[in-house]
Formats: sequence, C-alpha cells, structure tokens
Amino acid sequence: MLPTLKPGQDVLVWCWFYTPKVGDIVAIKVTSKEMIKRVRKVFDREVIVQGDNERESTDSRKFGPVKRYQIIGKVVWSG
Amino acid sequence: MDFLIKLLPSKPIYAHCDIPCGIYDPHEAQMAAHTVIRMVNLINELKPSSEEPPFDERKKIISQISRLTKVKEEHAHRVEHEIVTLWADYFKEEHLKNNPNLHELVWKSLKLTGKVRQEVNLEAAQELLKNVQEIAEIFWKTKGKEPVRIPSGYPTEGEIVSHS
Repeated sequence: MLPTLKPGQDVLVWCWFYTPKVGDIVAIKVTSKEMIKRVRKVFDREVIVQGDNERESTDSRKFGPVKRYQIIGKVVWSG
Repeated sequence: MDFLIKLLPSKPIYAHCDIPCGIYDPHEAQMAAHTVIRMVNLINELKPSSEEPPFDERKKIISQISRLTKVKEEHAHRVEHEIVTLWADYFKEEHLKNNPNLHELVWKSLKLTGKVRQEVNLEAAQELLKNVQEIAEIFWKTKGKEPVRIPSGYPTEGEIVSHS
C-alpha cells in the first residue's frame, strides 16, 4: 500500500456496522490471508479493491472482486 | 493516542498476497529455453558408428538420449512455469493495453513448450526462445527499463534479454 502505508506501520481497523465506500482503505480476508487494500468500486454484494502501489500490488485485478463478507473493516487510524 | 492504540490486541496484516511479491524476472525462462535448444542440438549430434551398431553402443546412445530428453522435458516445463507465473501474477490489464500482442505471444509460447517436448525440433525450440525474448523485452519495458540483448555466452550462442 505504498506510498500511503509503509511496511511495519500500525493500523486500527473498525470492524462493526461498516458500509464500504469508494476510496476507503479496508482490511479484507482473501484465501485466509488478511490484507489492506483501497476500495475502488462498490457493487451490491461485492467490491473491487486495489493497492495504492499500483505497479506491484496484487489485488482485484488478480483475485477478482471481493465479497462484502470478506471485508473485515475499515482502516480508521494509521500510526 | 498512539500509546493507547499500542495497548490494543494486534496481529500482522499484509499489503500483498504473495511473498515475495514484486520479484519477477524473465531470465530463468530464457535460460531454460536456451537449455531446450542445447538438448535438441546434443540429441541431433548423436551418431552411430555404423548402420547396425553393436549392442553396447546402442545402449550408450539410448541412455544418452534418455538423459538429454529428460533435461529437455524438464526445461520446457520450466519455461512454461515461468511464463505462466509472469502471466498470472505479474502482467496486468494495463500492460496488455500497451502491448496488445502480449496475449498471443504468451499463448504461442505455451503451445511451443508442448511442441518442443513432443518432438526433437530445433526450429520450434528456436521459435520458443524468440518468443520468450520478446516477452522479456515487454516485461522490462513495463518496469520502465530499457531492454537490451546481450550475448548469452552459452554453447547455444544467441542472446539473452536483459535491461540497461
């Protein structure tokens, strides 16, 4: 998620009553791995996510849209 | 605030789903494609001493062909694996937009990795290397590097695509 988030940085994730919005940074769970991505597009049941480090990121361009239930929550604070 | 947040329970979360993400290189595919050419050449160089060579000589030739074929198979597989990795994990939609021939190039190369395994076909092996080199050139361009062809220094001669 460079340049927004750097390796080792702390993030606080809000996990309740969350409706994804374009531009939010979210924590998601894809194939048992928890990852941080930015919401690019929101559909009824799915969202498209993309990393800010566009050139290197592995995101919806590779693993497709993410189901809403795969979203853990929204990043509300980063240290 | 920072102090309070550090007190909360925490666990690692990742920005990438592959480790090590971002480390790709078309070099290995090229090395493997050169190896396939080398194996085809070595198989073609095997010549019996007569029309009906003695059993011991046949044994040696069969053994040698088996070994060369095994390495040819393995390296053709390696080319396939490396190309599939670049295709599935590295290349993205925007790369394809800027290089519309990439899809066909990958597709043809993958087909050729099958052909060079099935046959002892120098032309197909050379065609495979040519395609892999073109993929390597596209790869380095997408990385913002200028691709350069340098002499391989291998017994197959020919070139390897690197970057300046």
